[in-house]
Amino acid sequence: MLKWIGASLILLAGTAFGFLQASRYERRPKELRHLGNALLTLETEIVYGVSPLPEAMSRIASSVPKPVSLLFADASARMRETAAERTAADSWSEAIHAVWPRLSLADSEKASLLALAPTLGLTDRDDQAKHLRLAAAQLRTEEETAREEQRRYEKMWKSLGALSAALVVILMY
Amino acid sequence: MWKSALEWLPSSIRTALAHLPANWMNRAEEIRIRIDRPLEVVAAGEYTFVTPDGRLTLSAEQAFKPAREDCAKLLDRVTNHSFYTMEEELRRGYITVRGGHRIGIAGRAVLENGRVRTLQQIGGFNIRIAREVRGSAEQLLPLLWDPVREAFHHTLIVSPPQRGKTTLLRDAARAVASGGWSSPERGGRPRKVGIVDERSEIAACVDGRPTFDVGPRTDVLDACPKAEGMMMLIRSMSPEVLIVDELGREEDAEAVLEAAHAGIAVMATAHGRGPDDVRERPSLAPLFAERVFTRIVTLAPRGPTGTILDIRDASGERIAVPERTSIAWRL
Repeated sequence: MLKWIGASLILLAGTAFGFLQASRYERRPKELRHLGNALLTLETEIVYGVSPLPEAMSRIASSVPKPVSLLFADASARMRETAAERTAADSWSEAIHAVWPRLSLADSEKASLLALAPTLGLTDRDDQAKHLRLAAAQLRTEEETAREEQRRYEKMWKSLGALSAALVVILMY
Repeated sequence: MWKSALEWLPSSIRTALAHLPANWMNRAEEIRIRIDRPLEVVAAGEYTFVTPDGRLTLSAEQAFKPAREDCAKLLDRVTNHSFYTMEEELRRGYITVRGGHRIGIAGRAVLENGRVRTLQQIGGFNIRIAREVRGSAEQLLPLLWDPVREAFHHTLIVSPPQRGKTTLLRDAARAVASGGWSSPERGGRPRKVGIVDERSEIAACVDGRPTFDVGPRTDVLDACPKAEGMMMLIRSMSPEVLIVDELGREEDAEAVLEAAHAGIAVMATAHGRGPDDVRERPSLAPLFAERVFTRIVTLAPRGPTGTILDIRDASGERIAVPERTSIAWRL
C-alpha cells in the first residue's frame, strides 16, 4: 500500500516537473512578443504622443498582459516616487531586476533591455525611437528561436517528465 | 517660493542650500548650478558661492561643486524623466516648471539646417526663482484708470531685467480680474483679462492651470507666440484687458495696435532703462508714432525691486504720483 502511494507521488512529481519545464518553453515566445509590442508602443508614445515616460509606461502597463506589464508598471511607479531621486535609467534597471524572476526570459534579453537604460528619456525623440526599435528587433529574433525551441522541447518535456518518473518507479519495484 | 524652487534640486545641492542665512533665502533671485564649478546664489545684484554646509563664501575653492550625477538628476527631474518632451523648450533655452520657476539651460547646441534643434551635454543651469507679490500692483492700478473713457490706459511697463516687470504685470492681471483694486465709482469691478504668456512666466501654467494667482476672470494662452496669441485671444476670448510680457518684435507692435483699435486695453512690458530707450527701438516705433501707450511706467534701475521711477503719458509728460505710492515690495 505504502509502495503504491510512493510510486504515485513520484509519478505525479515527475509529470509536474515536465509540465513546468514545458510551460517555460510555452511562455517564453509569448512574453517576447508582448515585450516587443510594448517597446514599439512605447516608441509610438514617445515619437507621436510625446508623452512623458512615467505616463507612457503606466499606459503601456495597462495595455499589455501580465507579467510583461509588471515591468512597465514598476518602472513607472519608481519614476513617480520623487523623494527617491531615481533617474529614468535607475528606475528602468531596478524595475528589470525586480520583475525578472517572474518572467521566463533569458539573460540575453535582460541584457538588451538593460542596454536601453543609459539613454532612456535622455535624448531626443528620433534617438529614443532608434534605441527602442533596436531592442524590439533583438527581441523579435529571439522570439523566432524561442518558437523553434518551443516546437522542439515543449512536447518532449511533457512526456519526458512522466516517462522518467515511470522509469524511477519501475527501477524501485 | 525659495522652498518650492529647492524641491527641484537633488538632495546633495538642496542640503547645502537649506542652511543659507534667511536674508539670502528671502532675496535670492537665481540659483546657478554648473558641473564641477561652485554653486552660486544671486540676490539683488550680489552673488555668493555656497559651501557644502551652507555657509557663504566668495572663494571658489571652498564652495560646493555639484557633480555630473547631481546635474543629471536635476535634468532628469525637471524634464519629468523625458528629455524628448522638451524639444521646444530646449530650443528656447529654458524650461518652466511647477511653481513658475524658470530653469535656463546651457549645453552643446545641435544644429539642423543652421538652426538650433536641441541642446545636448547640458552643463549649466540657472534657476530663476519666481516671485509672486500679491498686492504689488494695487496702488498703481488707480493711476492707470482713465475716468473719461471708463477704461484702463494702454500701459507699457519699462525696466531693466530683474527689476520686477513680470511680477508687477502678474499682479496687475490678478487685481484687474478680481476687482476691488479701487473704489467702486472708479470702476473697480472685475474685468475679463487675457494673458498671452509666451514664456510661461506670468501665469506659469502646468497642465493647463496657472500656478500663480492671476485672478478669477483671466484666460491664459500659454507658450504662444505673442503676436499670434494676441489676435487669437481677441477673436476667441473677448478680453477687456490684454496682458503681454516683453514686446520686442515688429509683429508684436502690429498686434498691439490691432488690439488697441479693437477697444481692448493693453498692458505690456518692455526691456529698457527708460521711455526714451524704448521709443528708439525700431520695432516699437509704430506704437509711439500712433501714441498708443498713454501710460508709461518706468521702474527704477536701483533700490528695492519694483520701485517706480516715474509714470509718463503719451507725450512724455510726468503724471503726478501720490507721495505714498511706493510699490517696492518687502521680501
